[in-house]
Amino acid sequence: MYKNWWKILASILVLYTVIGGLLIQVPELPILHESIRNLYFHVPMWFAMIVVYLVSVIYSIKYLNSGNENHDLIAVESVNTGIVFGFIGLASGMIWANYTWGSPWPNDPKLNSAAISTLMYLAYIVLRSSIEEEQKRAKISAIYNIFAFPAMVVLLFILPRLTDSLHPGNGGNPGFGTYDLDRNMRFVFYPAVLGWILISVWIMTIRYRIRLIENKQNQID
Amino acid sequence: MNLITQVRFLLKKEILLEWRSKYAFNGILLYVISTVFVCYLSFKTTPPLVWNALFWIILLFAAINAIAKSFIQESKGRLLYYYQIASPQAIIIAKIIYNILLMILMATIALVFYSIVFQNNVGDVPLYFVAVLLGAISFSTVFTMISAIAAKASNNGTLMAILSFPVIIPLLMLIIKLSKNAMDGLDRSVSLDEIGVLCAINLIVIVISLLLFPYLWRD
Amino acid sequence: MFSFFIISLGVFAQEGKIEMADELRSSGKIYVVVAVMTLLFVSFIVYLFTIDKRLKKIEK
Repeated sequence: MYKNWWKILASILVLYTVIGGLLIQVPELPILHESIRNLYFHVPMWFAMIVVYLVSVIYSIKYLNSGNENHDLIAVESVNTGIVFGFIGLASGMIWANYTWGSPWPNDPKLNSAAISTLMYLAYIVLRSSIEEEQKRAKISAIYNIFAFPAMVVLLFILPRLTDSLHPGNGGNPGFGTYDLDRNMRFVFYPAVLGWILISVWIMTIRYRIRLIENKQNQID
Repeated sequence: MNLITQVRFLLKKEILLEWRSKYAFNGILLYVISTVFVCYLSFKTTPPLVWNALFWIILLFAAINAIAKSFIQESKGRLLYYYQIASPQAIIIAKIIYNILLMILMATIALVFYSIVFQNNVGDVPLYFVAVLLGAISFSTVFTMISAIAAKASNNGTLMAILSFPVIIPLLMLIIKLSKNAMDGLDRSVSLDEIGVLCAINLIVIVISLLLFPYLWRD
Repeated sequence: MFSFFIISLGVFAQEGKIEMADELRSSGKIYVVVAVMTLLFVSFIVYLFTIDKRLKKIEK
């Protein structure tokens, strides 16, 4: 039996942020105006993506140690889910950027980094499809996954801090903690992040279970 | 044999083999020189920003071509021989060191030739050279491991490029920024951040390669 | 919680130096948006739960 309480918790948290995110007072800032509410929906996508990728790396490491095929399946499905969240994050960011920064793709290190890290995981998928033999595929892709992860950490966390960025928290701009995220917003923002992370993990487990059943069927046939 | 003597032995062997044929070295040298020349013919003169970017793009592709060979080229028999005499750690260390030497030589020649053909004034020449050295080292550490992965997968060059670009781009962005600082002749303390991060990343990449390569090598 | 919304809404409408969507709020039309988004999200969640349930059945 799978325990369900965290799925319900995730639903309630995100439901609360959908309602609260639209109704609770936000600070009145120039340029952003009401669009600051996008923070509750756009930023959690990235948190969810990073957490799922982290899960994938952990299971890749586990796979190398154990050789258990299921660990490899979890790693793949995490990457698949992460890519979906990455694309949603990019697309929603582009809409928001178009109205606040004037163009859908301003030359911003965070945007470029996000795009490149998505490329990295697309490369992971290509690598997988290029190898026929199952165990070899699992092993080599696990190695690439672990090898690429530090590069992604550099891309998303270190590089934007060294250059000027439009995003808060980069290039000498103060981070979320001190800047424009007042108490009211935090009450919505943190639950939103937690809720979306849980939902992404949930989707990942669903994909993983489907994969397991498919595998079993293939073995029977 | 302990690790250091193994590494030294493999490295000697690698250099000796290369010295005999000079195939990889000459091939890449010709590749770099002809690319520089093609760029010269098509650009004539360039603004500094393009000059810098163009140099790194040329080096990037030269590095991919040079290092992609390091595992793909090996014959079955030689791999088996390595397998018997050396530990996987020794092999990857020897390969990385060899590629670093090759790339440093290559990058230095490329830089000299490039700056003769393309006139451009670099503000802080020693720092630019440091950037080139760091770039050569970063290319070698990252591409050696990727070429090992690509060689295991299906031996084609496309896969090598696809796999290596996302990993190298963050490093490349840092290197380009560092070398741009050097061109503008900014105070060296400005660039310390980049140098530190680059060294740290290289260290991480080497450690991860050491940890992961045994798994790749085993079958 | 609902009264909290109303209060914050009232505070919101009083200060209007920077142009916000006050009109949308005072006319109450904002609740239409909230209702639509809530409906969308709830159906998404329900959909996920049904997939979950069906999977559980198949797994048995």
